[in-house]
Amino acid sequence: MSLQTAHSPARRATEQLMQVRGLTMSYGSGAAENKILQDLDLDVRAGEFVSIVGPSGVGKTTLLRCLSGLLAPKAGTISVGGQQITGPHPDLAVVFQDYSRSLLPWMSTRENVAFPLQGKGMGKAERNALADRNLAAVGLAGQGDKYPWEMSGGMQQRVAIARALAYNAKVLLMDEPFASVDAQTRFDLEDLVIDLHTNLGVTVILVTHDIDEALYLADKVVVIAEKPATVVDVIETNFGEVRDQVETKADPRFAEARARILHRLRDH
Amino acid sequence: MSNQARTVDPGLALQRLLAVAVLLAVWQVVVFSGVLPSMTPGVVEIAAAIGSTITSAVFWASLGKTMLAALSGWLIAVAAGTGLGLLVGSLPRLDRSSSILIDFGRSFPVLALMPVVIMMLGSNTRMEIVVVALSCLWPVLVQTIYGARRQEAAVVDTVRTFRIPKLLWFRRVLLPGAMPFIATGIRISASISILVAVGVEVLSQAPGIGRQITLAQQAQHWDKAFAYLFFAGLVGWGIALLLQTAEARLLKWNRQANG
Repeated sequence: MSLQTAHSPARRATEQLMQVRGLTMSYGSGAAENKILQDLDLDVRAGEFVSIVGPSGVGKTTLLRCLSGLLAPKAGTISVGGQQITGPHPDLAVVFQDYSRSLLPWMSTRENVAFPLQGKGMGKAERNALADRNLAAVGLAGQGDKYPWEMSGGMQQRVAIARALAYNAKVLLMDEPFASVDAQTRFDLEDLVIDLHTNLGVTVILVTHDIDEALYLADKVVVIAEKPATVVDVIETNFGEVRDQVETKADPRFAEARARILHRLRDH
Repeated sequence: MSNQARTVDPGLALQRLLAVAVLLAVWQVVVFSGVLPSMTPGVVEIAAAIGSTITSAVFWASLGKTMLAALSGWLIAVAAGTGLGLLVGSLPRLDRSSSILIDFGRSFPVLALMPVVIMMLGSNTRMEIVVVALSCLWPVLVQTIYGARRQEAAVVDTVRTFRIPKLLWFRRVLLPGAMPFIATGIRISASISILVAVGVEVLSQAPGIGRQITLAQQAQHWDKAFAYLFFAGLVGWGIALLLQTAEARLLKWNRQANG
């Protein structure tokens, strides 16, 4: 399968790809100013899987919206591949939490995946072929003619992931992507994302409130807390490339890391 | 869902026939009871008049005139209403500044405009088309604006992050997203077009079914007047049915995705 991205094998990459410095974001101004993010720094290497974990309401979605260029920060810089981000960027693809609404119901799944490619000016045959390849990569081979509303929530989220992959961005940004599916589907999707990351070498930044999920998926977990939110801890997981829902989570290092994150979040 | 709609349940068909039979029986009883003026035709007389009307050349000519005026006015309204509505609904500034005009326009009794239009154009088919178009414009316009305005936040984000060009966004996101609303406007205005066309003909004596009803009434041919009324209703019902079927086919995703 010839799916994009130059960097593989994925893990243990060293090249700096994304850099965030002094990211500050607030809504409103003057006395009514509501500070959400304060002086946030983040480094992401090419091919790295970074989880950003923090309690609900801390500003994770705001952070991800800033990273994806949907929101302009009040202060600080975000760059990808040395280029400053001032708005949505071709090197960034986003998978939203609200998959059922982010897919267009009047398009088949193939058309949904191919749509951003059409926006890039790619011809019909080429973009459809690429859409089918990416649908196959997320385990939806031969399902291109189905419509999103003919699929389960987990399958719809796979389509959204295929769409982001097909866009051929350097970084995949995921906002609580598995928050609204059942537990088994969630495990399946987590393992799918790990496989995609390992096999395609795509860089992933995933935001979640679930500590186990953050640890299970990532090479590096960034803990954000406080109000306004800032980075309170960074943990390199070192569980190796192969992960298993049972064994990895039973690893003593996993329990240790989880305890450390819980302490960090409780202290703040 | 679609299968259920296509196969007619025999029990339901029977119930519907029964409802029609009850209506006819009530009508006949009322006529016999003498509550209505003595010239009111019974079911049999109306049926006979319907039979003789359907074979008359005058009927087909007036039906043609009415349909032509209704259809022309409606098409003008659909073209203008969707075009204008998409423009207004997709440009928030235009939407905000024009909303007072649109709210006023939609509450305006368009039939009252008729005398003015007659003054300008005379009592003819052209005038009729203009009045029909003005009446049909508002439902299409208002529905289209609603549809274009209502853009899901998640879709807006998706379109932005994938940097979809404006024209492509309009064609493949805004337009299909607004389509269910536009379809409703088109359906409502189709019924209105027949209603207004016949009404204008009754009031202005422009040629068509409405004029035939007035003529029959003036000549005391009550059975004929009722026959024409029946056909006016039939045409409106037929059009509504046709559009409903078309909508169910073309916008299948909407029913499935949004229940």
